[in-house]
Amino acid sequence: MEKTLDKARLNDWVAALGKTGNWEVHAPALEDGVWTYQPVESEVSLDHPNTKQPPKGFAFPQKEIFFSFEQIKGEPARLTEVKPQAPQCAVFGVRPCDGRGTVRMDRVFTDHVADPYYNARRKNVAYVGLACNVTPAPTCFCKSVGGSPVSSEGLDILLTDLGDKYFAQAVTKTGEALMAAADKLFAKVSPADKKSVDKAHADALAQPQRAVKDAAGAPAKLKAAFDSPLWEEMARACIGCGICTFLCPTCHCFDINDEVTGSTPLKGNRVRTWDNCQFPDFTMHSSGHNPRENTGARLRQRVSHKFRYFHENFGMLQCTGCGRCVSECPVGIDIVAVVNKVAEHVG
Amino acid sequence: MINIQDIRDTAKDLLAKGEVRGVIGWKAGTRGMDAEPVVITAPEQADELVWDPTCYHNLALYLVEDRKFLAHARKNADKPIGIVAKGCDARAIVVLMQENYFKREDVYIIGVSCENTGVVAEHKLARQLSGFAASAAAFAGDEFSFTTAKGEKKVPAREVMADRCLECRNPFPKEHNATLGEDKTGRTLAAPFAALAKFEAQGGGERWDFWERQFDRCIRCFACRSVCPMCYCDECVVDSIEMKVLPDTTAEEKANRIRWIERSADRSENITYHMTRAMHLAGRCVDCGECERVCPVNIPLRLLNNKMEREARERFGYEPGASIGGPSLVASFRDDDPGDFIR
Repeated sequence: MEKTLDKARLNDWVAALGKTGNWEVHAPALEDGVWTYQPVESEVSLDHPNTKQPPKGFAFPQKEIFFSFEQIKGEPARLTEVKPQAPQCAVFGVRPCDGRGTVRMDRVFTDHVADPYYNARRKNVAYVGLACNVTPAPTCFCKSVGGSPVSSEGLDILLTDLGDKYFAQAVTKTGEALMAAADKLFAKVSPADKKSVDKAHADALAQPQRAVKDAAGAPAKLKAAFDSPLWEEMARACIGCGICTFLCPTCHCFDINDEVTGSTPLKGNRVRTWDNCQFPDFTMHSSGHNPRENTGARLRQRVSHKFRYFHENFGMLQCTGCGRCVSECPVGIDIVAVVNKVAEHVG
Repeated sequence: MINIQDIRDTAKDLLAKGEVRGVIGWKAGTRGMDAEPVVITAPEQADELVWDPTCYHNLALYLVEDRKFLAHARKNADKPIGIVAKGCDARAIVVLMQENYFKREDVYIIGVSCENTGVVAEHKLARQLSGFAASAAAFAGDEFSFTTAKGEKKVPAREVMADRCLECRNPFPKEHNATLGEDKTGRTLAAPFAALAKFEAQGGGERWDFWERQFDRCIRCFACRSVCPMCYCDECVVDSIEMKVLPDTTAEEKANRIRWIERSADRSENITYHMTRAMHLAGRCVDCGECERVCPVNIPLRLLNNKMEREARERFGYEPGASIGGPSLVASFRDDDPGDFIR
């Protein structure tokens, strides 16, 4: 389904979705200098660069409680299952790189293993994407990893900004339902609209970006470079923080802990939280031995997961080129430069 | 103004004469205008070194890393390691020496003065360049010069400098083996603790609401801790890397391992983490401001550390990083100590 929507009517659409009682709408908003997804009732303006955090938390929150426990002395322990409270969410303004991130998260948590918590949330989230027909950020590289600034992969609707209106393309049945919920606000696509959107997409694709030089060759090159001394050299400045992976739209490693919330009686929750391959205790064995004991081995793991292991497991690169790990790294570690350097080194 | 060639020549000379085993400095980065930390070990690498307003990093962190590496490899260094240090970096080195983390003779400090400038604050620059990214930055007297797609753009340094640099009074590394640039100690571009004073003018309720909002946003990436040269503990309160499970470790011992702060990134745990860090930095933080710069969700962490720093100054006349031989704030006792609980 393809329609157009006057920009002045965007807020009406958002309000209409809210009024159906079925949808909670979230959109990027600037809070304390940070673009974050926030719940909105009607005020939406889609003029954001990419958000600081990808939308992965809608289906895979940083904290997920599996069950709670309580132990009263002399009584058997009581366990209470906690099911995800997941209202239907329409997330507006998702950029194509993050849409493609969603596809990769689904492969891990839906196709590979059906994770009940992820899926309970995922089936209730719809992504209303926004094509990047603006100058890309200096750290964007979606085109070189198989994506595009106008890709609709993983999205339910792709909006393209045509100046005074949006070109709205429903990609899924959910997307069609979202548009149908406010059918009267949308207009038919004219031949001129079609021409404009084609031009906007062509212009967006023509924008220069940085590039991973040979992404298709990366899995083999990374395999060949496994024992290279380059890793330690390239990670020399790494401080071992978790920015690169926590902000990644496709990083999905997690940890499970029992967290105590009270002692009389003893009670608490079994909690899943995001974990991070850059942390020193990530693969540490209970003996104290760590097979990835330095930042070089951890950088290799992160880069190899994105450009090799995921490809071996699922037949696609995991990296979508959003550039967050590049722009946010405190010391300038740059996955594009790393993959290119490895390729050059291996030859 | 410092000529970059002087830094390169100094490093080259030290390496060529074998006086140091390496020099920690900055090189040009790959992602845009930002410099990156680097350790060079051969004289011919000295030409990679750069000095510009994107040399944000407190390189004292890499002295800590070097020391940890040596300890892990059970090696002793036969020579000192060189480091290019700004005023704040040098203050951090002094605190580390005061705490006996390494000795004065282990380090050769090539001090660089920020003179009347400092480093760029990216968010301020973004406003000035109205969306255009700079591919390079350079010092130009009291101005910064940026290379953009639209050509060279000069901006008065004060308009785009980090708050930490505006409030800095010691842009000259007092502790050094060699220095480059003019000594501008005591300069005042902004009142010290200006941001803190502005924040504290609000009521308690407003301040608490503010902090709740800030800490709710924390994703616990621990970049603030990981970038801090003072956070050198082998085992931090947030990770339990020293807990070794042996064949005779009981289930109870495993279950009862100390976890002051849970993994969940929620308000209570986040506040406990940040408060713990602030307390551990009291009398040690030299206000290099790196924690605030690296925070991906813009939590103004300097406010916490500045609060502790100002308390130390006002109550005890104490300034961290002033002298290697001087007493440290929390490990010394004076007869005129204003507290009575300790007598």
